[in-house]
Amino acid sequence: MNAMSNVILKITNLKTHFFTRRGVVKAVDGVDFELRRGECLCLVGESGCGKTVTALSILGLIDSPPGRIVDGEVRYDNLDLVKCSARQLRQIRGKEIAMVFQEAQSALNPVLTVGDQIIEQMKIHLPMEHREARNRALSLLEEMGVPSVERVMSSYPHQLSGGMKQRALIAMSLTCDPQILIADEPTTAVDVTIKAQILDIFRDLKAKRQMSLVFITHDLAVVAEIGDRAVVIYGGKNIESAPVSEIIGSPKHPYTAGLIGCLPDISQTTDRLASIPGNTPSPIDLPQGCSFHPRCSKVMEVCSQREPAQIAISQEHQVSCHLNQ
Amino acid sequence: MGKSWLRAYILKRLLYAVIIAWGILTVTFVLVRVGPSSPADRYLANMTASGQDVSQIVEAIEARYGLDKPMHEQYIEYMGNLFQGKLGWSFSNSMPVIDLIKTHWIYSFQLILLSSIFAALLGVVVGIYSAVKQYTKTDYIATFFSFVGISLPNFWLGVMLILVFSVKLGLFKTYYDTGLPLFSLDNLKALVLPVMTLGTGMLAGYVRYTRSAMLDNLRKGFVTTARAKGLPERTVIGKHVFRNALLPLVTIVMFDLGSIVFGGAYLTEIVFGIPGLGQISFNAIFANDYPVVVAVTLIGTSIVLLVNLVTDVAYTYLDPRIRYD
Repeated sequence: MNAMSNVILKITNLKTHFFTRRGVVKAVDGVDFELRRGECLCLVGESGCGKTVTALSILGLIDSPPGRIVDGEVRYDNLDLVKCSARQLRQIRGKEIAMVFQEAQSALNPVLTVGDQIIEQMKIHLPMEHREARNRALSLLEEMGVPSVERVMSSYPHQLSGGMKQRALIAMSLTCDPQILIADEPTTAVDVTIKAQILDIFRDLKAKRQMSLVFITHDLAVVAEIGDRAVVIYGGKNIESAPVSEIIGSPKHPYTAGLIGCLPDISQTTDRLASIPGNTPSPIDLPQGCSFHPRCSKVMEVCSQREPAQIAISQEHQVSCHLNQ
Repeated sequence: MGKSWLRAYILKRLLYAVIIAWGILTVTFVLVRVGPSSPADRYLANMTASGQDVSQIVEAIEARYGLDKPMHEQYIEYMGNLFQGKLGWSFSNSMPVIDLIKTHWIYSFQLILLSSIFAALLGVVVGIYSAVKQYTKTDYIATFFSFVGISLPNFWLGVMLILVFSVKLGLFKTYYDTGLPLFSLDNLKALVLPVMTLGTGMLAGYVRYTRSAMLDNLRKGFVTTARAKGLPERTVIGKHVFRNALLPLVTIVMFDLGSIVFGGAYLTEIVFGIPGLGQISFNAIFANDYPVVVAVTLIGTSIVLLVNLVTDVAYTYLDPRIRYD
């Protein structure tokens, strides 16, 4: 089997830095991963680890200034998106690679109708009449399980519930049949029952449309439910990547193990929830060596001196930790 | 979604407007009439010049116009006439106030209209550009000049413009020529300096308001969504950001109108000798010609109240989240 032809998006050594008055914020500082056709790849990490900036960097959506992609490659379809012109990027955004943002409330424009916002990109990317675009929007909303679609189309975002807004956003991202869908914590701002329904939608997308998904989340339960493979990000770098069953079953990085240890087990009663001590490091001055070493329970002398190289445990499982060297 | 509540709201606001206008008129009437001199004085001066008996004339005039009655009776009579649409008699001009206004309103109207168009169009364009290019040289220059423009008193600016462009360079006449036909290039040329005088302060304000309203919205989530859809930057800025910036902008522009109608336009008319309502009202104050003062105040008040109402109704179309109950 030719592994390369199966890869639809390959990110190599991506570094996105923000040049602020207080210093250089290295939000993403060397992320590598590849997305395979038809899989759901999860990017996992705590808030502030660089997941969202990674996603925004793929489509060149970093505000500049202050942000800039200083190094690395985002390879899609023989194109390096980092080097693409604004014009080329615009033709890819929404049409080839679409995005669903967290917090549908702020991701939708409050003064335009939902219908207008769903339709507008079809008119730009596809040779479509208004009627045709409208019909497509209606059928997509129906597919997302939205009741009374006509009413939703002519509603403004504030008139819809959180779940409806999130569905509308997903429908919007699908209008041009993208090859890749990047979903940034789409289940964070909705309640548990809606969350389950939204996850079902994504599962359907993968099954019925063979969509390639990048799913960003901090929630390992979600990863277990929807992901094929997972990439764990810490301090702007990926520290472990493996198939989901392996990440959860036998994590090799103490941070990954810590994240899994944080999942509450409802079969046992405890007073306190487990947590990893300490905070996500400030991306302005990341710790020397392995950026996780100040919080690591298995820290060794070498950890503060040298950055661990990425090594392959197996063909599918990579980890960057001195324990495994 | 109908806006049936809007009709009731407009009716309620119109009622308020009538009450407010009545209050302002009463205050104006009292202020003008408490002065020691009588409107008959000017009249008298004209008469005595032709050698007639003074005391007889005064009595005759006061009796004819009811000026010998107590003030509250005069007030009731005046209001009664006003209610029937009679604006009264101008003592200093020896003609009905309504005829006076009919011949002079157009001069104020053309000045205010042209200044508003000039300031709004240029101000919005420069403001948007300044916000999109925040912290660049263009932005600093625009910000600097808008500061200067806001700080300049417009009667001073008018005099300076006359000095430079009329006296030194000889490009324009030093005063406004009333002999020109209204819809002619010559009239437009005669209005260049007055429009610059009145419009500069407005323009500077609009640049600043537009810039800050745009900046408030430029970093919002829906802007990233719009870019992620692959929309051209012109649509992102012009449709998504500007539509949201419009609400605060309209508020401030309409709020400003009051000070322009009552302040800036008066002074500009006097500096350039434009025979508009400001000019006749200014002369009427010195001549104690209260019917003219009250009538011009009534017109200005009505315009401001009406514009406020139109603005509030326009809000509901600009921002679907707004409801008045």
